[in-house]
Amino acid sequence: MDKIIEVKGLKNNYVPVEAVKGIDFYVEKGKLFAFLGPNGAGKSTTINVICTLLKYDAGDVSVNHLELGRDDDQIRNQIGIVFQDSVLDSLLTVEENLRIRGGFYGLSKDELSEAINKALTVTDIQELRNRRYGQLSGGQRRRADIARALIHQPKILFLDEPTTGLDPQTRKSVWTMIENLYVNEGVTVFLTTHYMEEAAKADYVIIIDNGHLVAKGTPNELKDKYSSDSLQIKPNDKSSLIEALSKDNISYRCESDVVIIPLQSTTDALPLLKKFESNITTFQVLNGTMDDAFISITGKEMRE
Amino acid sequence: MIFSLVERNIKLYFRDKASVFFSMLSVLIIIGLYVLFLGELVKGSGSAAGDAARFLTDSWIMAGVIATATVTTTLGALGQMVDDLARKINRDFETAPIKRWMIVLSYILSSITIGILMSLFTFALAEVYIVIYGGEVVSFLAFIKMLGIIVLSTITSSSFLFFFVSLVKTMNAFSVISTIVGTLIGFLMGIYVPIGILPTAIQYVIKVFPPSHAASLMRQIMINEVIDLSYLSTDTLQELGIRFFFGDTFLSPLVSILLLIGTTVVFFGISVWVLSKRKRES
Repeated sequence: MDKIIEVKGLKNNYVPVEAVKGIDFYVEKGKLFAFLGPNGAGKSTTINVICTLLKYDAGDVSVNHLELGRDDDQIRNQIGIVFQDSVLDSLLTVEENLRIRGGFYGLSKDELSEAINKALTVTDIQELRNRRYGQLSGGQRRRADIARALIHQPKILFLDEPTTGLDPQTRKSVWTMIENLYVNEGVTVFLTTHYMEEAAKADYVIIIDNGHLVAKGTPNELKDKYSSDSLQIKPNDKSSLIEALSKDNISYRCESDVVIIPLQSTTDALPLLKKFESNITTFQVLNGTMDDAFISITGKEMRE
Repeated sequence: MIFSLVERNIKLYFRDKASVFFSMLSVLIIIGLYVLFLGELVKGSGSAAGDAARFLTDSWIMAGVIATATVTTTLGALGQMVDDLARKINRDFETAPIKRWMIVLSYILSSITIGILMSLFTFALAEVYIVIYGGEVVSFLAFIKMLGIIVLSTITSSSFLFFFVSLVKTMNAFSVISTIVGTLIGFLMGIYVPIGILPTAIQYVIKVFPPSHAASLMRQIMINEVIDLSYLSTDTLQELGIRFFFGDTFLSPLVSILLLIGTTVVFFGISVWVLSKRKRES
C-alpha cells in the first residue's frame, strides 16, 4: 500500500474558528478519498495546509514522500487544486488561462501546448478553448477549472466541493468526468463535498468535526457502523401498533403517521411484517445512507 | 514563468475597458477643464502673443497631463494585485511552484509596462492637440528626453504606489486610494493652480511630492521647444512650476532625476521589508 498523503498529529490554530487539533490520516495512491465535515470543522484549514498555502503549528505531513514545509516547491509540482471559488480570469479565453497558469511549471512551449490539448481533452472542453472564461456556464467553468488543475499532470488532485452550485444534470456530468479521472488517469483524488451520494462513491472516507477526526472507513463500513436499516410502517391503527411494539420491547419512533423501527438488517423486517400484517396500510424497508451516518457521527446536517 | 504573469496582467488591464477608462479619468478631466475653462483664461490674459502663447500654454498643460498619466495609469494597473487578492486568485499562484517574489515582481513590471504605454499614448494625443492648435511636434532630442522621463516617472510611481496598494486587501479600499490620488493629483502636479500662486507651505508639499518633479522636468523639455528657457524670467519659471526653487537656488534637472531615483529605491526597499514581514495567510 502506497501512502501518497500522510498526516500525523496535525495542529493548526491560525484560524481560530477553523482550528485543527491534532489529526492523523493517510490517503492511498490512486484512490478516491473523501474528506467530510460540517462547516467550520477544520476542513479548509487542513486542505490549505496540505496544499502549501498555510503553515501549521505541529505535526508531520508528507505528500508523495516529500516533506511539507521543506519540499514545498516539489510538492506544488505534484498537486492540482480545484478551489471552491474559481481562480481563472474571466476576461481571458480558456486557452489563455491554461497557457498562463501552465507557464508556472517550467514546461517548454511545445510541452505546454501538448499539456493544454490533453487537459482540454480529458475535461471534454476542446470546443471552448477560444471562448472567454467569463462567458461559460457553471458546468463549463468547472471543467475549465479542472483542466487548469490538471495542466501539469499532477499526481494528486484536490477538489474542494467541485459540484456545489451546479444543477443536478451538470453535477452528474462533472462527477462522471471526475470518476473517469481516477479510473483512467490514475490520479489520486482528494475530495471534499456536501453531497453524500458523492462521498458514498469514495474508496475511503474520513469525517472531522471541531478539529478532531471523528470517523473513518469505507462508505460501507461507515454506513454499517453509524446508520441503521429501518422499517417504516404506516399503520391502520397507530395506537394499537405502538402498544404491541412496546409490549414486545421493540424500539421505535414516530414521524407523523409513520412508525419507524430500526433494524439490524433488512431481513429482520420479515417477521415483523408478518406479525403486524393486518395493521399495515403501506410499508417500506430502507437501507442506512451516508446522510444518516454523517448526521449520527457529527450530530449535524451537512448543509447547515 | 514571470513573463506569463506579466503578460496576463497586461492583457487583463487592456481587456477591462472600464479600468483603462478610469485610470485615464484624471487625465481626461484635466484636459476637459483646460479645453473648456483654463485655456480661455490663459489665452485671455496673454492674447498679444497669439499662436506662440497658445503653443506655450498648451505645452505647459500637456507636460502636466503626461506626468499625471504616469501616476494614474500605473495605479490603475496595480489594481489587478488587489483584485487577485480580493477574489483569492493569488491562491492559485501560491500553490504553484513559482516564488512569491516573482508574483510580486510581475505586478510591478506589468504596472510599469502599462504606465509607459498609456503615458506614451497620452504624449501622442498631447502632440496631436498641440499641433491642431498651431504648435509644432517636439524635436527628436526632446522626444528622447521625454521618453526617458516618462520611463523614470512611471518606475517611481510604481514603486511609490505599490507600497500603498500592498497595504490594502479589498477593492473598496483600493477605490479610496484611486479617488484620493485622482482628486489630488491635479493640485499636487501644480496643474489646476500654478504652484507660484499657492501658499509657501503648500508649495513645499508639492516640491516633496516626487511625481511633481517629473512634471517639472517634462515642462522644461516641452516648453524649451517653444522658447529657450533662458528667455523666461525666474519668476515665470518658478510660478509655473517649470523649475523648482528652494530659496534662491533652483533645482537642476539632475537633482530632480536623482530625487525620482531615490524615491524609487526607498519605496521598493520599504515594500520588500513589509512584504517579507507579512505572515503567510490563507
